[in-house]
Amino acid sequence: MCGIVGYVGAIGGNDAIDVVLDGLSALEYRGYDSAGVAIPTPEMTVAKAAGELSALEETVSRDELAGEAVGIGHTRWSTHGAPSDDNAHPHCDEAGRVAVVHNGIIENYQRLRDDLVDAGVAFRSETDTEVIPHLIGRYLDRGADPEEAFRLAVDHLEGSYAIAAVVEGSETVYAARQDSPLVVGLGDHGTYLASDVPAFVEHTDRVRYLEDGDIARLSADSVAVTDVEGRPVDRATETVAWDAEDAEKSGYDHYMLKEIHEQPSSLRQCLRGRIDELEGTVDLPELDTIDHDGPIQFVACGTSYHAALFGAERLRTGGMDAHAFLASEYASDRVPVDEDTLVVGVTQSGETADTLRALREADRAGATTLAVTNTVASSAARECDHTLYIRAGPEIGVAATKTFASQQLALALLAFELGDGPTRGELEALRDIPGQVQTILETTDARAVAETFVDADAYFFIGRGYHHPVALEGALKMKEITYRHAEGFAAGELKHGPLALVTEQTPVFAVVTGAGETARKTIGNVKEVEARDAPVVAITDGTSDVARYADHVLELPAVDDLGASVLANVQLQLVAYWVANLLGRSIDKPRNLAKSVTVE
Amino acid sequence: MTIRSAVVLAAGEGARLRPLTKYRPKPMLPAATKPIIEYVFDALVEAGITEISVVVGYGRTHVQSHFGSTYRDASLEYVGQDKQLGSGHALLAAESEVSEPRLVLNGDQLVASRLVEDVRTAHDDGDAIATLGLIRDENVAEYGGVICGDDGHISEIVEHPRDDRTYQLNAGVYAFEPALFEYLRGPEPQLREYSLIDGIANAIDAGAAVRGVTSDGIWIDATYPWDLLEVTATLLEHADGVGSSVSADARVHESATIVEPVAISADCVVGPDSVVGPNVALGENATVGANAVVEDSVVDADTRVGSGATLIDCVTGRNVRVGPGSTVVGGPGDVRVGDRVHETERLGALLADRVRDGGGVTYAPGTVVGSDAVINAGTTVRGTIETGTEVQ
Repeated sequence: MCGIVGYVGAIGGNDAIDVVLDGLSALEYRGYDSAGVAIPTPEMTVAKAAGELSALEETVSRDELAGEAVGIGHTRWSTHGAPSDDNAHPHCDEAGRVAVVHNGIIENYQRLRDDLVDAGVAFRSETDTEVIPHLIGRYLDRGADPEEAFRLAVDHLEGSYAIAAVVEGSETVYAARQDSPLVVGLGDHGTYLASDVPAFVEHTDRVRYLEDGDIARLSADSVAVTDVEGRPVDRATETVAWDAEDAEKSGYDHYMLKEIHEQPSSLRQCLRGRIDELEGTVDLPELDTIDHDGPIQFVACGTSYHAALFGAERLRTGGMDAHAFLASEYASDRVPVDEDTLVVGVTQSGETADTLRALREADRAGATTLAVTNTVASSAARECDHTLYIRAGPEIGVAATKTFASQQLALALLAFELGDGPTRGELEALRDIPGQVQTILETTDARAVAETFVDADAYFFIGRGYHHPVALEGALKMKEITYRHAEGFAAGELKHGPLALVTEQTPVFAVVTGAGETARKTIGNVKEVEARDAPVVAITDGTSDVARYADHVLELPAVDDLGASVLANVQLQLVAYWVANLLGRSIDKPRNLAKSVTVE
Repeated sequence: MTIRSAVVLAAGEGARLRPLTKYRPKPMLPAATKPIIEYVFDALVEAGITEISVVVGYGRTHVQSHFGSTYRDASLEYVGQDKQLGSGHALLAAESEVSEPRLVLNGDQLVASRLVEDVRTAHDDGDAIATLGLIRDENVAEYGGVICGDDGHISEIVEHPRDDRTYQLNAGVYAFEPALFEYLRGPEPQLREYSLIDGIANAIDAGAAVRGVTSDGIWIDATYPWDLLEVTATLLEHADGVGSSVSADARVHESATIVEPVAISADCVVGPDSVVGPNVALGENATVGANAVVEDSVVDADTRVGSGATLIDCVTGRNVRVGPGSTVVGGPGDVRVGDRVHETERLGALLADRVRDGGGVTYAPGTVVGSDAVINAGTTVRGTIETGTEVQ
């Protein structure tokens, strides 16, 4: 979730300070609470500031640092220590010769810190990171050269990390990776380092992904990658297709609204070439080699977990034994997993630390692993046995929208691929979904509903069956971007406790489609709410009579269960967006949140 | 100085194309399978324009989401015009973006890059405050005309000229100096609208140099819904148009008959024993069922033509459901638009966005069905059916 940028410029290259600050700005969407840079030549210059990137820009002079070719930078999201200037990266050794930026968590930092303090080292911050520059400094004091000192320091570290370091007077950037992404870019005007490709994609699309245990030395015209013992390792150069222009707002006020409106085309991309109505088939050739009839476990976090709940239900409908687990609880829950298990990690970024950890646990237990992700060549895609891409395109808003819809469709395709395949009706319904999402975007009353309830005390969301994950996701979206209290429940659970919270000031959003058993039961729950005088917003296709008990209706076209879940979610995305907009929230970068959570 | 940037005016609805414009603006209606405005962008890019500001208003999200922030080699920037107060007002919305001469085009008329290049070259070479692209067209009374001398000097600009002087048609392709903005603002706009034409007339009255350049590149305007059929046929036939094509991402059953020219988009499905063409455009993800016949028609995205249905001279919106065995027998027919009846136009039927028919429906020539209408099975319909109604 933190961002790392590094650069070693060639002759005729850019000023390092410009490349680093622009790179940090390109990573801004990941969310952060402080930022900093270090330029090691001619003498070490370190600048850092809590708050927005503009605060850092005010403390550092691009003019004074013009002409310097080497630098590193960081945007931080607090895990240890409050956001403050002191706790911001880079961190230095006592002599100020070494500057280090770091993503991840050093698990043994307390012991390392105690040892260093015992040896007389004075710490300036509360962070785990600060042990690294002190370690490097100690080895430099003992006569090690910078590369050796860096390697010896990294050897002490336990935990997850992506590290970049510079040493005063040296035109080199040192880097190390363990369980936290780092990628090197090879350009005509120098060598780049970043936690995420967009930081330098305007300069080059030729990249090398570092793997766990790698140590890299970046110079102006090359990168040398070695293992911890210093033996050279070969990392292939790949070309990334990432259109930086895609990351602009295209006339929308927020990336989130842009991405909500991109859903019809993302969903078309997700389906393209994968379904054939003439043959009546779903075909995912990338999964042809999976021959599986054992249990299926989904692991995921946040919005992806809601997609996983939905996916597991699709698979169970297809007669398979499938369940979804929170990735962060997967290991501690002692979920039984063996060679007969297929473990599916759902992660938009492919870098979610909790999900990667769960996938690695599963891999160790001998399970087959499948990554369902949006990010080509991400850690999840590279580590899993199989990968299914959701093809949603880059998503910048921290609150996931189009990637959730694409995850839903991709998982529906997975259920057909692993199960019996779709009926003609189901295929027609799948093909209709993108156009129906467009219909909702054109006809929605979500803004009016948001205006009515912008001052509510809390928001509750209920749904049953396929609509239960939709209710959970509707509440999560509301929490993330409005900072208001919101909860999603299985509709039947309301009466087992949460009903005590329901008042005239708590609108209840009920997702009800069709007129079958499930709808009838949910309508029963709606009546319970109505009897407590809570306003009810029904998200419905109008097949049942739920509108009679509702104060507002958000309409859906008449569709099957799969389509209804995708479409109902779009309505709830829009309600959350408009409530947050009316409240003036920082919609694309909500407080305390980051796009891709790379710590456990 | 060579002009590299352009403003495209795409904020208006295009009311004469109702009910197709109920949800999206005229620039986003399909000419063959591409939105009209895409031809404008193509012409600009081919003429070497690299920065395009798009003035958007009515249905703006359609333009923004379709094109995003780049089109081919050009960057796209969107400028909102919240109230549609005329073309001059639209251009003023983009004023802060304009510091040097640039091109201004209507986003709802198809132009060839030739016309764009001619205007740019003439403007670069001259000292005019504005240079207008002109074509010789007999329908000048429907649009705007100019009186242009042999030296290219424009002495008069008139909307809908009715007299019998020799006018050339103003093709809506302009090159402007920033100084023209002063004339757009005053003196007083007519009817509280700021028209671009008034602004140019103000400049002429003030003695500023306004020139015209006559070109013979393609210029097509779809004024009424049935014009989309003619536009599509022209584009499919012409070498300068789009040509006949079937997307690699479409599925056409081996027993289907494709009668060229046709344009079949990505994700389309054409069922067994159907006949598609000639002069048919199928939008993205459209479906033609088994044994259906589609001729001389524009079928927009996500529409399904049921098994055994027949569409001749038909324009559909998006997401329309033509049920099995329904028949659009073809034009000509009398079509009512607003208060005016257009007699014997070539229109079998117009079915706006999300019209649903239950199958076995017969459409009399010239039928116009508003969006979201539902037509029950076995009905015969004629005339105008309002948006959202149910026909038993």
